[in-house]
Amino acid sequence: MGLPCGTRNFKYDTDMAILRTRTHWALFILLLAFVFTLPLYLPNRWIGVANLIGITLVAATGLNILIGYCGQLSIGHAGFIAVGAYTSAILTNALGGEWFMLALPASGIMAGLVGLIFGIPSVRVKGFYLAITTIAGQFIIIWVINHWGITGGFVGIKVPYATIGDLIFRTQASQFYLIMGIAALSTFFATNLARTRVGRAFVAVRDNDLAAEVMGVNLFSYKLLAFFIGCFFAGIAGSLLAHWIGFMNAEHFTLTESILYVGMIIIGGLGTTIGPIFGVIFIRLLDQGLLFLTPAIEGAIPALPSGFATGIAPMLFGLTIILFLILEPRGIAHRWVLFKAAYRLWPFSY
Amino acid sequence: MTSKKLMIAVTLCLALIISALPLVSACASKPAEAPTKGPLKIGISTPTTGPAAEKGSPMGHANLDAIEYVNNELGGVDGHPVEVMWLDNSYDAAKIVTIVNAFMDEGSLMYSTASSKMMASSMEIANRAGFPGLASFSSPILYRPPQHIYGQLPDYGDDWGAFASYYMKNVWKGSGKPKMALHLLNNPTGFGARDAAKASAEKMGIEIISINEHTATTISETESLNRIKAMNPDVLYISSTPAPTALIIKNAYELGMYPGMTIGLGHASFTKALIDIAGADIVEGVHGVFPTVNWGDDVPGMAKMTEYVRKLHPKDEGNMDYITSWAQSLIMVEILRNALKNAGYDVLAKGGPEAWEAIETQGIHKLNYDVGGLHGPAVYTPGDNRLSKSLRIFQIKGGAITPITDWIDAPLIKFEEFDWFGK
Repeated sequence: MGLPCGTRNFKYDTDMAILRTRTHWALFILLLAFVFTLPLYLPNRWIGVANLIGITLVAATGLNILIGYCGQLSIGHAGFIAVGAYTSAILTNALGGEWFMLALPASGIMAGLVGLIFGIPSVRVKGFYLAITTIAGQFIIIWVINHWGITGGFVGIKVPYATIGDLIFRTQASQFYLIMGIAALSTFFATNLARTRVGRAFVAVRDNDLAAEVMGVNLFSYKLLAFFIGCFFAGIAGSLLAHWIGFMNAEHFTLTESILYVGMIIIGGLGTTIGPIFGVIFIRLLDQGLLFLTPAIEGAIPALPSGFATGIAPMLFGLTIILFLILEPRGIAHRWVLFKAAYRLWPFSY
Repeated sequence: MTSKKLMIAVTLCLALIISALPLVSACASKPAEAPTKGPLKIGISTPTTGPAAEKGSPMGHANLDAIEYVNNELGGVDGHPVEVMWLDNSYDAAKIVTIVNAFMDEGSLMYSTASSKMMASSMEIANRAGFPGLASFSSPILYRPPQHIYGQLPDYGDDWGAFASYYMKNVWKGSGKPKMALHLLNNPTGFGARDAAKASAEKMGIEIISINEHTATTISETESLNRIKAMNPDVLYISSTPAPTALIIKNAYELGMYPGMTIGLGHASFTKALIDIAGADIVEGVHGVFPTVNWGDDVPGMAKMTEYVRKLHPKDEGNMDYITSWAQSLIMVEILRNALKNAGYDVLAKGGPEAWEAIETQGIHKLNYDVGGLHGPAVYTPGDNRLSKSLRIFQIKGGAITPITDWIDAPLIKFEEFDWFGK
């Protein structure tokens, strides 16, 4: 399905391959070459933006597994990212930045375990009810961070550079390779997960959990597994975020951020591997564009009534999301599929 | 219209907006007068949108209005126009990190933020690069231990220090230690005062008898005040925002605690809003601390600031945050002037680490500037990155906030020497 005309599979492993034609391979290698040479021609500022995109992508990929594949609505994702960020911060402060390779998986596991706790209600409740329990998770986690001495409380906590062996990730460019490497691995993992027995069980739970249970899918196990994996990714993203910014306090992990993550995967395309990539890039770049907007409008037209320009950026941001939801509810990923189909059939797309 | 056509129209609109951004942005960041010499670039980031826009918007106006005044009327800094890269951070921690990277990339010599939160989120990136930053509102974590981030005004801990110092010298007439209760908002506004009290109360001869927390949305503090009342305090210090502070004072009034003891407030709540909410008769006699002058005060810098606010942003007149940010821009200009004089334009024009070091060592470290009397003098003291350390004590008299002291210096507290700091 979705293959260029004339492509046939003669072996099972060819049928299962993600990249199935030479063109696929060539485009994939070109894409990797383009992404991993970005620090050579991007200014530092945009490498920083790319780093933020990479970190957000890891977290959004986890949320997409949870919501997009398994249908478990979570509006506390920023809280789980916070768990990962603080785990990494505390461990590397105690042991040194060179223990980053221990702190990184530990952050994922810790966030996954905390995610399990807040995922338990998913067995009994779903939809909006589950969303409320995950919001509770968001508030509880942030409260604990603010009141537990080891996290630095309201003051915050400094985080050392990530270090692997003799390699210290000081610059934006070096951090770019670390972050993009992990983002690529996360996407690869998510792509494969969707094609496994576990992935298919997730989709079955999402589409009709009663039917899935009748078919032998253990709802308790699979829902909790989805929470663990989704929050594991959030924890990994948190660890990367902590070492990228170098200083953490709870203000980084607001409810607004959690909602924005849901927005990103909806705009990108729920339940697709490529959706989070599109959604994250779109939202983060829109964010960057809007940084200039209000100052630019106020600078260009000083006579504007006070507060007028202040409302423009949020309105434009909201309007863009609304338009996307109205015009393309299946997200940018669906547009991508349509584009590929039209491209393959061109010039006979009718 | 079909959805396809609508999609195309929307895409075209978005593309037009995005492609027009650099053009409009260029218009915004150009100085008002054509440069006669090369520019000196600075970065300014304010939360002009987002949850703190009501503070960030006038602060951004003030920053730019002051720079316009400097470029238009003072000829820039010795003929070099000050060029501002102004970006809106929406009070978003992730955005400010990318913004500071942009400032560094674009050759800014230093940067400023309006809030301690935004500076805290970006300070590590700046400290790692040696890029100097100036926060108008600050907290000890920004500069204890001191690195490349500086505070324009004293922080909430300094408020407590200045008030306690004034209280011991001028109000306390009893024997032994006065008993002080703290009522604190459950965020850095409150905990800054708590940390200062923990560090200095013993040394200043004050006994802290009770530390209470409240939320910004509290609806009654009768219970906590009853506990405090049982301890018979001499003074109640509140570090919070206007609404909860007004509630606490009203509750204390209803319980018969006030008048009868001294009440002192940190600067976050000591505004006209407090009097409006609580009622002038109830808050009569309350003491408070504030780091800037009031609108209309007779100080040299007031006339020009008032002229510009009336000309460019009349709705901001009367807003205390405008004064803070106007002064912040003037301080940055003075830092540039010092660095230009001591290091030369060639060093500054290059941007990057060498220029940043020159800004710090030849600009900030040689700073001794009175800011037209708008707040206490901005003076660098080695080991102390607070530029202005001065506060004034005010008292509410006849419904008006009235100054009762000249500038009082808040003592430096080396928080990093305490094991409990940040825990």
